[in-house]
Amino acid sequence: MSSSISDVQLIVDGKRLDGRTENELRPIRMEVGVIPEADGSAFIEWGGNKIICGVYGPRECVPKHDASPYHAVVKCRYMMSPFASLDEHSKSGPSRRSVELSKVIREVFENLIKTEAFPNTQIDIFIDVLQAEGGTRTASITVAALALANAGIPMKDMVSSVAVGKGGNVLLVDLGKAEDNFGQSDMPLAISNRDKSIMLLQMDGLLTKEEIVQILEMATGACDVLHEKQSAALLKFYEEGEQDDLNL
Amino acid sequence: MDKKIILPGAKISDGRLNIPNTYSDGTATYAAVIGTMDGAGHYLPLETRYRAYVGDVVIGVVVDSIHAGYRVALNLPQSGFIPTRNIKIDLQLGDFVLCKIRSVSEVGDVDLGEVRRLPRGKLIKFPSAKVPRLIGRKSSMLMLLKTYAGGDLMVGNNGYVWLSDKSNIPLLLKAISHIERKAHKSGLTDEIANLLKEETGLDLPVPQGETYE
Repeated sequence: MSSSISDVQLIVDGKRLDGRTENELRPIRMEVGVIPEADGSAFIEWGGNKIICGVYGPRECVPKHDASPYHAVVKCRYMMSPFASLDEHSKSGPSRRSVELSKVIREVFENLIKTEAFPNTQIDIFIDVLQAEGGTRTASITVAALALANAGIPMKDMVSSVAVGKGGNVLLVDLGKAEDNFGQSDMPLAISNRDKSIMLLQMDGLLTKEEIVQILEMATGACDVLHEKQSAALLKFYEEGEQDDLNL
Repeated sequence: MDKKIILPGAKISDGRLNIPNTYSDGTATYAAVIGTMDGAGHYLPLETRYRAYVGDVVIGVVVDSIHAGYRVALNLPQSGFIPTRNIKIDLQLGDFVLCKIRSVSEVGDVDLGEVRRLPRGKLIKFPSAKVPRLIGRKSSMLMLLKTYAGGDLMVGNNGYVWLSDKSNIPLLLKAISHIERKAHKSGLTDEIANLLKEETGLDLPVPQGETYE
């Protein structure tokens, strides 16, 4: 991504490439409890993204020298499947990108989980991107929050995440793949629900001070919408008892 | 009673309360795990990790045998320990045991006593937060399940449930998964009784009033 104006037209007749308005999110569907063997799990379809997340723990910390007698160690593994998108992610195994994403996602949850309740243990968050279409880190954080709630791991707050960026000189909520690749800038944010604290903030490209203020406002609004969807998914699972049969 | 499901971070009280699975920021108290809140403001977790307390009756699997005793998997991060000097029976790897927690150390090491080996059967995992519903008031649910399944079953505080080989295991699994799904609803025992009657086509008398040990 660069700040230079590319020749891709991102806004046509006041609408974005997929027909959305500036403030509109892609269609989102979330599901909880999709992996009965895991302690907690969730699945999200966010536009063209399909991401599955499983949470295990708190369990014995391996290797032992990672463990801390003061708090649980949060471990996060973000991985993109070799078939997740057509071009650049065609190799399996860790890459510079997946290591970075694992780290930023881990830091979000290190600050949310009440780790001090589980000394000498680790909590594993496994995130697998089955299909990618831009914004996988934000979708991953949103789905991992659901999986952690499903696992019954004590958390201070729920978190949801969205990227806001600039394309065609307009601020856009929830960038898609083309907007991410050819837009002017991109700012993924994760915002906790109760006290609206910023758990993740990254930036690519250039933005003015005024634009950032506006982006924070747009992201907070979008995260509220996402939180509604998260609670609807959890409520559906717990209220209506729509669970898979007991795992044997 | 009108129960509402609340998520982590939801406010429980405007004051500081010291109850499990919540936290306080100094002024108000918030939920830390997903739970239910009734009209009177009582918060009950729906999903928690099991934490060991002295006196809990737990079910475990023997996973290791060392000179001084046996290690037992208990649905906890650390395995529990049965010192050989505390027991008179010989245990084997894979045995299911029912025991009582004697002590829990600062770092979470669990010592077990009053060990009883369970006969052949099946061990399943049940959410520990929902164990009281599986037992029922005066163990009414347990008696109901035992009567219709025709065999024994044991529930540990840690969420492990042992089903005897002699009982109707498919029927029990169906009933238990139903309890797991509807654990926060009222009138559960009647619902399960109906389900069992339908499944078996029998209407059996259920003994009442036994207390769970």
